[in-house]
Parts: sequence; C-alpha cells; structure tokens
Amino acid sequence: MKEKRKLIFRAGALLIVLLIAAAMMVIGRGHTVYFDNKTLEYEGQSYEAYHRVDVYVKGERVARLGKRDRGMAEAMGQKFSMTLTVTEEKGAEPESYDVSLTLPYNMDGILINVPALLNGLTADAYLSELEIVVPEEETEESQEGEGVDLMEEVAPADI
Amino acid sequence: MKNSFLAKASVPLMFILICAFCIPIAGLSPSYLANEIVTRMGRNSFLILSLLIPIMAGMGLNFGMTLGAMAGEIGLILVSDWQIVGIPGMVLAAIISIPISVLLGVFCGKILNQAKGREMITSYIMSFFINGIYQLVVLYLMGSVIPIKHSSIKLPRGYGIRNTVSLLRMRQHLDNLIAIKAGGIKIPVLTFIIIGVLCVFIIWFRKTKLGQDMRAVGQDMEVARDAGINVERTRIISIVMSTVLAGIGMIIYLQNMGNIATYSSHSQIGMFCIAALLVGGASVDRASIGNVFLGVILFHTMFIVAPRAGAYITGDSMIGEYFRVFVSYAVITVALVMYETSKRKAKSAAGEQLARAQEEEENAGKEQA
Repeated sequence: MKEKRKLIFRAGALLIVLLIAAAMMVIGRGHTVYFDNKTLEYEGQSYEAYHRVDVYVKGERVARLGKRDRGMAEAMGQKFSMTLTVTEEKGAEPESYDVSLTLPYNMDGILINVPALLNGLTADAYLSELEIVVPEEETEESQEGEGVDLMEEVAPADI
Repeated sequence: MKNSFLAKASVPLMFILICAFCIPIAGLSPSYLANEIVTRMGRNSFLILSLLIPIMAGMGLNFGMTLGAMAGEIGLILVSDWQIVGIPGMVLAAIISIPISVLLGVFCGKILNQAKGREMITSYIMSFFINGIYQLVVLYLMGSVIPIKHSSIKLPRGYGIRNTVSLLRMRQHLDNLIAIKAGGIKIPVLTFIIIGVLCVFIIWFRKTKLGQDMRAVGQDMEVARDAGINVERTRIISIVMSTVLAGIGMIIYLQNMGNIATYSSHSQIGMFCIAALLVGGASVDRASIGNVFLGVILFHTMFIVAPRAGAYITGDSMIGEYFRVFVSYAVITVALVMYETSKRKAKSAAGEQLARAQEEEENAGKEQA
C-alpha cells in the first residue's frame, strides 16, 4: 500500500513536470515578426504601400517604415499585439490601429504585409514565413574529416 | 586557538590583502566595482552553493559539478534550437537538464563509492571522461541523430554545434525581471531571491534525516554504517543533488553571460567555483554558506581588478590575466596540500597516541608482574 502510494506520488510529480515543460514550450516560443510596408498584388487587386507606418509593441516604437521598408520585433508566445500608426499619404493625418494576431507555432520568422493586414485580407495573404539563411562559409569546420579546434580558449575571457 | 583561526582564515586574509593592494592601482570607480561584484554574485553563487552538499557528506570538493554544468548546457542548446526564449526557456532548459544531471550524478556517485578517500581526483578525472562523451554528443550526434534545425547553432558541415551558441533572447531575463537600481548599482533581486531560497534549503536540509545522515557519513563512514545508515546510497544522493544544482546554476550563469562557449564553459566553471569557495575560507572537509559569499566577493574582486592592476604595474594587461588564472589553480593546490598535511598529522598523532597507550599498558603489566 505504501509502495503504491509512493508510486502514485512519483507519477504525479512527473506528470506535473511534463505539464510545466509543455506550458513553457507554448508560452516561451519565440518568434521574430517582420513588418513589410510594400505594395501587394493579391487576386488581381493591388494594395498600395503607405507613406509611413509606425509600429508600436508594448508602448515602444519598434519600427518606422517608409514605402518598401521592412521592420522587425521579437515576440514570445502565440499572441502578438501591436499598434500601427499609419500615414496614408504625405501630409495626411496619421491613424492608429490596434492589431492582435495569433502567430503560427511552427514559424520562427513571420513576415506580415502591413497594407494587406490593414485592408482586412486573410492570413494567407498578409502572413508568410521568412527563413533567414545563414551563409555557409567555407571553413575548416565544414571540410569532411577535419575536426573543430575545441581547445582554442585556454584563458577565460570572463567568469 | 589564535593560530587555528589564523590557519583557517589565511587564504581569505591573503586575498583581502591582494584586493586591498590591487583596487587602488586598478583605478576603477567604486560604483563600477560594486556593480561588477553584485553581477558576479548573482551569476556564480548558485553554482558555488552546489558544492556544499558533497563536502557535508565528506566527499570533498566535487569536481564532478562540471557534469551538471554539461547537462545545463545541453538543455540550453536544445531550448535555443526550439526557439523557446526568456524565462520559459530557462525553466524548460532546467527541466531537460535535471534527468541528465541525475543520470550523470548516479554514475559519478557509484564510481566515487569505488574510490573512497580519493573522491576529488576521481571526480576530476571523471569530468574529463564525461567531457569526452559530451563532445561526442554535441559535436557528432547533435544534428545527425538528435535533430537540430537552426543553422545558426549548427556547424556548416550539417552536424555538430558551433563553438558559441547565442542566448541573446534569454540574456539577463532572470536578472532583469525584478531588478532595482541603488546608487548606480543594478541589483538582480529575483536572482538573489533564488540564491536565498537555495541557502534556506541547504540550512533546512542539514536538519533533515538525510542531512544528518550525510553529516554522519562525512564524519566517519564506518560509524555511520554501524548506526544503520546506508553509506553508499547517502553518498550517491549527495552527488546527485550537487550535480542537479550545478546544472540549474549553469543555466543561471549562462543566461547572465548571454552565450554558451559550447566546448569550454563547463570545464572552466568547475575550477573557478572551487577556487572561489576555497578563497572564501572553506576547506576540503568544511564549508559554509558564508564561505560561498565571501569567496565570490574576494575571488571576483581579484578577477576584476587584476588585469588593470597588472597593466599598470607591468604595462601588459595579460600579466594580470595570467595572474588571476595562476591564483585560481594555486589556491586549489594549496588547499589540497593543507588538507593532506593536516590529515597526515592527525593520523600520525593518533598513531603516536596509540603507541603511548600501548607502552603504558605494557609498563603497567610489567609492574604488576
């Protein structure tokens, strides 16, 4: 009986740890959100880029976009809220829009087309994945059969 | 009594003198120095505290803490690849590191049980052995067997992890979550709360049945065994606890640094944590929480001021750099020599006492005859 109770407690503790790990994987998922202020052609219609777009995340301006500009912000979790202050034409009054998005879990870099988003198009139109490709340098490390120098740091830089 | 105090406090006193000599020469502002010391206290204290439990169990300085550090690094590498950032990333890395640390701790504890009385050298060599396995995993299995998606952490050849992994999206998240600025000094309150909780845990743990068992084992293994304590199991638990805490400590340390030196962080950290503890006045068989904090302050003050002082005195900052590395190794060597000498002295004193007792007994027998 005592052994059984011990086993139940252990299984319960393991389950709780696994649940915490799962929760951390969801709430801690990091994304890089890129904003494009570019004209988009979609289903035969053109959605023009704005004269200026200011992007605010948590009250802080993270990007100021002119036509054909791209900005970015770091996000954690699947919910992403931002405020877009849009100036449609030069000299026009800026208008603010509060936008909330659900970010796809499997995407690291998410590209959002601002004109498509503000014109109420579907996520297929305004959201796409942006993959950052790290340029493959031809180094000794990449050569087959050659090792990596692991002992290069002898004295510590800082502890 | 006075001599005994001086012998115990000789290393901290020496470091106080070194610091007192180097601080004015280095010419660093008091606020900068205080800021650096506070940062390093937050960064290192948890790791150094992980060394206390094996000392309590009489297993000396646990050079095997690097095993836990490796587990923490593996957790962080995986979390970086999965793009889990901030505090959740740290928690997840800790959850991943714990089973690895437990496994390594049990393995290490079992080996150390086969090498009683030679725990330190065994754990030191053990850390090299496990480092080889770590390199096999990180350099060859990650990317080929263990899926690694991001090319930013993978070597260009397609498998293996780069020499440095960035933790930029985790950097100082714990330190900054609750931080206050007092007189230009940033105090990472949450990190200190976590360190404080560990200190309270250690104090509480000493009073528990297991803690008392560990102390008994540390005092005398044979007496503890006669008292019904499972000596081997108790020793393994102490090493497992130390390894797990070292893994978590390494995560706290690396989140402050903001990057992982994949192949060298863990080996350096073991040496410097042990050196800091010894600088704080601890010895191979006796260490307290006070030693940890005194050690961090003195050792890291020396670390901060030595390069500048070296540059001022010799015109070459590398002299100061070499000096601080030299001192780290020297303090460990001196502590080990002192421990061995005192052990031999105690052994020969006990032998002499026994011989005297035997002689007296023989004389008494002769007189009676």
